[in-house]
Amino acid sequence: MGSTDATLVFARGPLFYTALMIFIVGMAYRLVSVLLLGWKRDRVPNKGSKLRGVAVTYAKGLLIFPFIPWVKKTFRGNQTTYLAGGMFHFGLFVVIFLGTAHMLVWKSLLGFGWPTLALPIVDFLSAAAIVAMIALFVNRLANPVLRLISGPSEWLNLLIVFLPMVTGYGLTHHRLLGIVALPYENLYIMHMMSINLMLIWIPFSRISHFMFYFFSRTYHGAQAGKRAVMP
Amino acid sequence: MTTTIAPAPARAAIDSFIHTTGSWVASQLDACTRCGICAEACHFYEATGNPEFAPVWKVELLRRAYEQRFTLTGRAKLMLGLDKPVTDEDISHWSPIVYEACTLCNKCAMVCPMGIQLGPLIHDVREAMAEAEIIPADLVEAVRKQEEIGSPLGVTDDAWVDRIEWIADEWEVEIPIDVKGSDTMVAFTSIELMKFPENIVAIAKILNAAGEKWTISTPGREVVNFGVFEGNPDRVKLFMARLLDSAKELGVKRLVVTECGHAYDLLRWTAPNMVEMPCEVTHIVAVIDELIKAKRITLRPGAFDEGGTITFHDACKIQRRGGHIEEPRNILKLLAPTSFKELDRCREESVCCGGGGGVIAIKEADPLRYKVFELKIRQMEEVGATRVAMTCANCRLQFTESLQHFGSPVKAVGLSHLVAEALVEE
Ligand code: SF4
Ligand code: SF4
Repeated sequence: MGSTDATLVFARGPLFYTALMIFIVGMAYRLVSVLLLGWKRDRVPNKGSKLRGVAVTYAKGLLIFPFIPWVKKTFRGNQTTYLAGGMFHFGLFVVIFLGTAHMLVWKSLLGFGWPTLALPIVDFLSAAAIVAMIALFVNRLANPVLRLISGPSEWLNLLIVFLPMVTGYGLTHHRLLGIVALPYENLYIMHMMSINLMLIWIPFSRISHFMFYFFSRTYHGAQAGKRAVMP
Repeated sequence: MTTTIAPAPARAAIDSFIHTTGSWVASQLDACTRCGICAEACHFYEATGNPEFAPVWKVELLRRAYEQRFTLTGRAKLMLGLDKPVTDEDISHWSPIVYEACTLCNKCAMVCPMGIQLGPLIHDVREAMAEAEIIPADLVEAVRKQEEIGSPLGVTDDAWVDRIEWIADEWEVEIPIDVKGSDTMVAFTSIELMKFPENIVAIAKILNAAGEKWTISTPGREVVNFGVFEGNPDRVKLFMARLLDSAKELGVKRLVVTECGHAYDLLRWTAPNMVEMPCEVTHIVAVIDELIKAKRITLRPGAFDEGGTITFHDACKIQRRGGHIEEPRNILKLLAPTSFKELDRCREESVCCGGGGGVIAIKEADPLRYKVFELKIRQMEEVGATRVAMTCANCRLQFTESLQHFGSPVKAVGLSHLVAEALVEE
């Protein structure tokens, strides 16, 4: 076995599992430390239904705005963020959960698999997600508000998510692109290493927003619901 | 100009930040992706293009304090010099941003993809500023007046009685004072008392016509609460107690807040989490809608259809955060079925008047306040409005002053006033 092979085995074996553990433990730590700060009880009598507000806000936030963001009036001023942001997340979810290669990883972890989408679709969406990320990056550079609110970690976040995406895309197109200088195994190692880096990084960064999303959305929905206004 | 008294503003502010940070605050701060979408929601940003007015930037100090105290990454970033600490200079820098360039209207929460309640978080920042005693001087003065005299406009007890008597005489309307055993206690604002007395008249006429057993209260005469604007919980409770104790003393079933947005938000949606409530709290627009539905008052349908387009301005604390979005529309559709037109951005997405959150009381904020109002003017022009109705006297003050400032022909009217005009005597 050559040293490249050994590195690959290590990167997708022990290192990957270690990174995954750090991810899980790290996220659990974040969750617990936020939960432990304490919740205040809400004793305000409702006008409408909190539950309804929560249901509506998730329906809007997950089903409507990502796909037809122009129904929001503020869309006018944030077209890049809405469109590229939506495209990026959509592409990412499809690739991670409905790409065959990734589903097989899930299967090895969870013990069961599921049907996946045809490669050309997944491939197209991953390209779209990469383009969207570049657009988001340029937008962050160009927009004065985004420049102001972006610290070193915001830029690093972009890079750390970008790396697994481009290396993954490169893997699918390795033959097609005929990247001769970079053997498949090396690219694979880079893909795995960037994923491991990302997994370790997530709990310590704002990429973990996917977990806190459920808190802020629920709270928003409940606040609107109890007042009987549209969240 | 800001008043600096405390020796270590940053220390005091950080303590306040840490004190307010419970799970909801933390989870919301952690949910933020720094996408910047909230900026576009803020009328202060929209009107000026100043990136520092982005809502997410207004909570920057709270974020720093939280992360640097409670999270590993925050502490590491501070140590590595990747994040800035909260300094005395920061407190002075952010104070005008959160007091003069934010009306706490919470529109930003409606557009944030994560649903972060930025308005209340910015209020937490104000609390820290208050703790650090870096507060606009005009606000300090208004708070002092409310504490010592009983009204932020400086209306004394005697002046109040005189004024109420004058209103009752001048418009020949009965205004019951301190009547024990009434069902309803109505609490007005000093703004209505001094600037829009016809609003008091209108509400009195409506309640009298409905045969409501109502009263106003001498000790609970001021519904405005400048403690909220300032962000001082002790004074919030003090000013609120004057009202709630009176309601208890009078034994009323409900307290009706008239045209004051933040007071309504406080009494209806916050107070029950702070103190024991003696009765239920509602807003006058809900009461009017109820009286119409119950046929306790009758209005002349189409009474205001003539006279050009009439539109409605949604107040942030009475409509978006208050929950009374449908009631004013029910009323307007009755009074002006053909000439009532909605503004382009309305209801939950309404553009704030620019004078709320105490901003109108701060002289230095005037240029900004007028600048923001240009958005409102543009909106009204788009629908060709000649009149704009509203349910908040603070909004109306901002409208009246700013319309005059810009020489606009549009007329700002109180919804209660329209209702009173359209009353059919039985
Ligand atoms: S819109 Fe919400 S998530 Fe985006 S920067 Fe503003 S507060 Fe953060
Ligand atoms: S609460 Fe209103 S004024 Fe304040 S930042 Fe949000 S949108 Fe702007």
